[in-house]
Amino acid sequence: MAGSEGRTEQPQGGESGPGRRQFLRTLSGAFLGIWALGGAGALAAYMRAPEEDHSSTDRIVRIGKLDELRIGEARLVRHGVSPFFVIRTGSESVIALSAVCTHVRCILDYDHERRGLVCPCHDGRFDLNGNVVSGPPPRALPTYEVSTRAGEVFVRV
Amino acid sequence: MSTLPKAAPATSRWDRAIDWVDDRVNLSELFSFLTHFGLIYTPIDTKRPLRDVLHQVRTTPLESYARWPHILGLLTALLFGLEAVSGILLAFYYQPTTLSAYDSTRSIVRDVMLGWLVHHVHMWGSYLLCGVVLVRMLRLFWDGLYKAPREILWFSAVGLAWLVIQLDFTGLLLPWDVKSYWAAQRGLEIVWSLPIVGPLFSTLVGGRTMSEDVLNRFYVLHIIVLPLMYLGFVYLTFATMRRVGLSRIAGAVPKLTTFRRHVSDLIVITLLLFAGLVTLATLMPYQFHGAADPYQTPKGTLPPWYMLAPYALFQLPIPRWIPGLGLLAVALALPFLPAIVKGAGERLDEKRLRMAGLGVFGLWLVLSVLGALVDRK
Repeated sequence: MAGSEGRTEQPQGGESGPGRRQFLRTLSGAFLGIWALGGAGALAAYMRAPEEDHSSTDRIVRIGKLDELRIGEARLVRHGVSPFFVIRTGSESVIALSAVCTHVRCILDYDHERRGLVCPCHDGRFDLNGNVVSGPPPRALPTYEVSTRAGEVFVRV
Repeated sequence: MSTLPKAAPATSRWDRAIDWVDDRVNLSELFSFLTHFGLIYTPIDTKRPLRDVLHQVRTTPLESYARWPHILGLLTALLFGLEAVSGILLAFYYQPTTLSAYDSTRSIVRDVMLGWLVHHVHMWGSYLLCGVVLVRMLRLFWDGLYKAPREILWFSAVGLAWLVIQLDFTGLLLPWDVKSYWAAQRGLEIVWSLPIVGPLFSTLVGGRTMSEDVLNRFYVLHIIVLPLMYLGFVYLTFATMRRVGLSRIAGAVPKLTTFRRHVSDLIVITLLLFAGLVTLATLMPYQFHGAADPYQTPKGTLPPWYMLAPYALFQLPIPRWIPGLGLLAVALALPFLPAIVKGAGERLDEKRLRMAGLGVFGLWLVLSVLGALVDRK
């Protein structure tokens, strides 16, 4: 068994043998560790799905002509994973607020008579400022900035 | 060597064919792989020719301890096999996109010859598998079969249960039916509430809200990643079972059996299982409710049944992470039950532990019923 003899002789051969071996072992361990970290980082970056709403062109959504919205009417805008309501509250005032309930993400309905949003799942109710009126929702609804230019309504999401 | 039984010399063409291959490939070694899945319980000498090995396996009588309670473990493997076959058949037609998921599932059930049978058998198989892994965990717990040297068995039983739940959850979304869509959306909310691992899982499945990404990743998890992990745990179960042996049922006298008898039992059980699934699939088919509209929530949708308990806690006016933390704690504590029980050298009273387990199970049932009642009908 020449191999095993060689191995037992090695530490005696050089004085720096064990120290050098330990150093090389640590170095290769660190090297492989860096590789593993980099690999894990790359994998995590790859697994993170690109969000649909983050491109700059999508930030401002064109809703349509102001005249097409009747006063008191709510329109559900089917915008990606964050749909929202656009509601014309007066002749010049238009508001936009999220249509996703803050409780378990059911899509809200517009309640014409009470002028608010109501959840079909657990009866959570919101007023038109997005505040919780009653029910289980833990937070207020996000509201979005609305601008009107040349008779057209835009919402910044 | 001479005492071991030898097969008769090759006479038929079939025997000669086996010998021909056996001279070129070690068939005994390949065959011995089957022992890892519990099909053969005679030890195999891989240095001997395959025909001798087969002869030995077929003729050696063995003491058998298998009784009816052991069928739960067998069913976790058998049902998985049936799910794999029917799942592959479904994948030939299914299209995992938001536009065609519903239509392709409808078309499998309506237009493809016998497609309804494949689909409904797959669905009923998943229901049964959920039940089987749950009952199996309860049995292992009740009979104390998590104690040394059975810790790995318990560990893989818990692993199989978690995987079945994840397989069910990912599979539920695939038809993109209005009920399944919103049930899965509720499920994603519950996953999100888990501290630390919630956001990690959500990144893994493509986000907190339902989208094309989520559907596609659920599909990949459902047909590749989770089944492979499941197979790993099945392997672990059989591997540790061969080392530590079947659990002995109190009062059962061991009887002699042979491999022939073992295989015929297995075939009968498989056929009965298949017949049962076909019956269920015919009598109680899957109900379609229409394609999901992501912008309209129907009334009266519930999360899947195993998520009803945390869902009930969601209705309390407390931060989400509190029930999430509870769920996570139970999930992490379950596999380490053997370590908890042995504790610092001192065994917990078994009777008290059983009662505690029963209490937790009862609480879970009560919360599940409450969770089923909170949604508006």
